[in-house]
Amino acid sequence: MQYMLIHTGAPDLDWAWDDEAWAALRSWLDETIGSGVSIEGGPLQLDADATTVKVRNGQLIITDGPYAETKEQIAGFDVIECASLEEAVQWAGRHPHSWMGAVEVRALVGGPPVVHLPEPGAGQTRYMMLVCTDPAVGPQEFAHIEPVGPWVAAMDRRGIRLFGSVLDPPGAARTVRVRDKHAIVTDGPFAETKEQIAGFDVLECADLDEAIEAAAKHPMARVGLLEVRPFRRLGED
Amino acid sequence: MSGAPPAVSVVETVVADAFRQEWGRITAALIHQTGDWDLAEECAQDAFARALLRWPRDGVPDRPGAWLMTVARNGAIDRLRRGSTYRAKVEELAVMATRETGPSDPDPGADDSGVPDERLRLIFTCCHPALAMEAQVALTLRTLTGLSTAEIARAFLVPEATMAKRLVRAKHKIAHARIPYRVPPAGALPQRVPGVLAVLYLVFNEGYSASAGDDLIRRDLCDRAVALTQVLAELLPSEPEAKGLLALMLFHRARQAARVNDRGDLVTLEDQDRTRWDHAQIEVARGYLEAAVAARRPGQYQIQAAIAGCHAAAPTAQATDWPRIAWLYRHLADLTGSPVVELNRAVAVAMADGPAAGLALLQRLETGGALAGYYLLPATRADFLRRLGRNEEAASAYEEAAALASTGPERRFLTARLAEVRPQHT
Repeated sequence: MQYMLIHTGAPDLDWAWDDEAWAALRSWLDETIGSGVSIEGGPLQLDADATTVKVRNGQLIITDGPYAETKEQIAGFDVIECASLEEAVQWAGRHPHSWMGAVEVRALVGGPPVVHLPEPGAGQTRYMMLVCTDPAVGPQEFAHIEPVGPWVAAMDRRGIRLFGSVLDPPGAARTVRVRDKHAIVTDGPFAETKEQIAGFDVLECADLDEAIEAAAKHPMARVGLLEVRPFRRLGED
Repeated sequence: MSGAPPAVSVVETVVADAFRQEWGRITAALIHQTGDWDLAEECAQDAFARALLRWPRDGVPDRPGAWLMTVARNGAIDRLRRGSTYRAKVEELAVMATRETGPSDPDPGADDSGVPDERLRLIFTCCHPALAMEAQVALTLRTLTGLSTAEIARAFLVPEATMAKRLVRAKHKIAHARIPYRVPPAGALPQRVPGVLAVLYLVFNEGYSASAGDDLIRRDLCDRAVALTQVLAELLPSEPEAKGLLALMLFHRARQAARVNDRGDLVTLEDQDRTRWDHAQIEVARGYLEAAVAARRPGQYQIQAAIAGCHAAAPTAQATDWPRIAWLYRHLADLTGSPVVELNRAVAVAMADGPAAGLALLQRLETGGALAGYYLLPATRADFLRRLGRNEEAASAYEEAAALASTGPERRFLTARLAEVRPQHT
């Protein structure tokens, strides 16, 4: 079974990275990559560099910022392979983000399994596209959502979509916070917002316009929100 | 260059003019070639500083724009060389520089400065919808018009540190999220042009409506918005709304001198001294409006310009073609669905068909509730009631409006009217 670990932290997260946190991350990666648990992952740019896209009444609406204002910002992710939710929660509790903020654990449902990615192509930028619900959209409207298959096929063909998946519903999520070396595991997602993450896709695009165009064509653009957030490249502030 | 070195004050004026004309061109070209926004701004700044030092001594060059561009580009090459990791960019810049030294063959589409005009790329990038509106405005003013961070902060009444942070954040997002530095493809223009026009109109209105703050910087905002819109209208000749917005701004600016009296109080259109309007500017505005309308693709700015044009054409307030204005507002309301437009329509209808007709439209608007807290709503009602001779009701509406008005001149105007309708207590 594959699980997504969503890493979060306070907005001034960069200052929280002390020697202990770096050492913990290094040993976490050594262990999970060595044992084949960690499949793919990476740091993401914080809320300030996110863009949210939706289509209402045929009109494309683009806004600066994340899908919802949260105290802990999304800072990165891992997709891991393990036997059970309990095991995934244990891995989450050993990741430094569990004490710098929180790590949300969600099972991937449906679709082919996530695989490790090569480095991005020259001049290409990778984006995490979070597929989110919009509380302003009623269940009746939501029921008219188009199937996502054609979008997936089209974006795979164009080489824009690298992988992605629907996630277990927010109610089935676990969130791990380690405080004073004690793991506190709560049911539900890391943010108590009405907007919730329902799935994700990793995109590789020439620029933000292409990522926005891809997001706008996703069936959820009409009945939900799509947040597009760039991966953080090495050595970038 | 000829004769004795010019006086310093003359040179300062020449540099100031060159600054207004060339700043955006220089930053746009350097951002295009280096991809580095800060470097572009610093090198443009340095070039103008050099001009202030050199021109009084050596005389003003024949092509000031080309001189400035060369100095700025050489500065950029120099800085990049010291950085040493940007070989490809340095080479591109060097190629541009040598191409330009030959006097024979200017680039197609190039002007005095010898380089293609990249400002359109810069405008579209600054006004990218993935940036917050306030960031779009700040970035446009900083990079395209050269207004300093401190000046922009003063114009929008925020602390300088806040404005500096806003600019840094916007530039980071452009780099991190890879916002492209380009003019959108033709198919995407209809979606992107309105956003650019909205930024320019917001800058103009901030200057024109004087919601607060110091006058000089605000007049400057208007002028810069007009200049940028002019650039846009020239570079996007097939977009009638760009010309429409330019016409609208010029019609408004032509009335600027008559809008405020000697005491600094606002004078309504009705009471303005129409001989103080800038009739030459009105003619220029009319030219742009006619050119826009000829494309037969109406839009909100063209309609607003047409309304402003009706006012400008009237020799007296009484002689205004109110039925036509009411008709134009109706179209504008259909197009925008804006309650503010609906309010203006009520005013026009009151002028065309009498205050009772206006009051009826207003009542519908008040039930809607979309304009709750907007001082012009009770102010307009007060005006209709006053004209109907319902003075007591008018007085309480004026009071309501004055309590909601934000600036001195607006409040003074309302209080003056209140005194006219209020029954004497003594």
